[in-house]
Amino acid sequence: MPTEELDPLIHVPTRLRIVATLAALPDGDTLSFTRLQDMIGLTPGNLIIHLRKLEEAGYVTSEKTGNGAASKTTVALTTQGHKALDAYTEALRGLLGGL
Amino acid sequence: MNGTRDTNDITATGDDGELGPQEAAALLAQTKRQARRKFNPNPPLLSLLRAVVVLGAYGAVWLSVRDQHPYKGPSGGAIAILYLLVAIVIVASVVFLRRATTGVQGPSRARPAEITVLAAAWILVYVFMGALEHAGASHAIAYGIYPATAPLIIVGVAGAGLAQARADWPMFAGTLTVAVIATIAAYFGPAGAWLVAGIALAAALLVHATATAWRQRA
Repeated sequence: MPTEELDPLIHVPTRLRIVATLAALPDGDTLSFTRLQDMIGLTPGNLIIHLRKLEEAGYVTSEKTGNGAASKTTVALTTQGHKALDAYTEALRGLLGGL
Repeated sequence: MNGTRDTNDITATGDDGELGPQEAAALLAQTKRQARRKFNPNPPLLSLLRAVVVLGAYGAVWLSVRDQHPYKGPSGGAIAILYLLVAIVIVASVVFLRRATTGVQGPSRARPAEITVLAAAWILVYVFMGALEHAGASHAIAYGIYPATAPLIIVGVAGAGLAQARADWPMFAGTLTVAVIATIAAYFGPAGAWLVAGIALAAALLVHATATAWRQRA
């Protein structure tokens, strides 16, 4: 089945899981990097690489607070990210014949 | 922290291989389902526990007052069971809440002012009970209808007010249901109020547990 119409940035298992997890957060909430890492089950390095790609596309926003060991990074899906996931879901439905 | 994984777990951690539309749809649905479950501070299991506790606590009080003519009030043992079970529910609720909200920041977190409002409502409703007794209210009122229903009505309405301010409509409906159930239960007399409130609340909590479980599977 052709998958060209699926957003290539989201159509990668790990990034799909990241975006879907962040989309499940209540509106306006952010998730700590460590909790996201725990939920996705990735190494910090791998997660950073995927988050950077999503951030460059404007799908995800991250914010770092504090310094050194006390620093905390929080991550959230942007409005653009939500729209991209909706469009991706619609495209999937279309490919699967509305299933 | 990780909870139980679905038996049909699709993902291989960090595996970024080729993904077909069907696999993608399954992965998306599974991830959303798992995430919603992990972020939910009121999972079906907790509602089930609350239902059992409400039935046990209110049932214990009802058993101690059902044959009283005239009504005197619950026995010390029944009150001890009531408080013990309430304490268990509070501890369990805090554990589930912490687990669900670890690492989550933002508007969904309870604000200190909201917690203060609910705590004040809960405490003041019992302080008011002292005023009823002081004013010479009958035991049927002061130790029956009032303690069986007033805390649920006051805290339920306060919770509904906070929920509507957040536009949290499921919580609004749930808390308002509690207040309505308690108000209806008050019409069943000092002993009957404990029984009706206990059964109706337990039933409502079971409905909530079932609905949540069904939503999480969808």
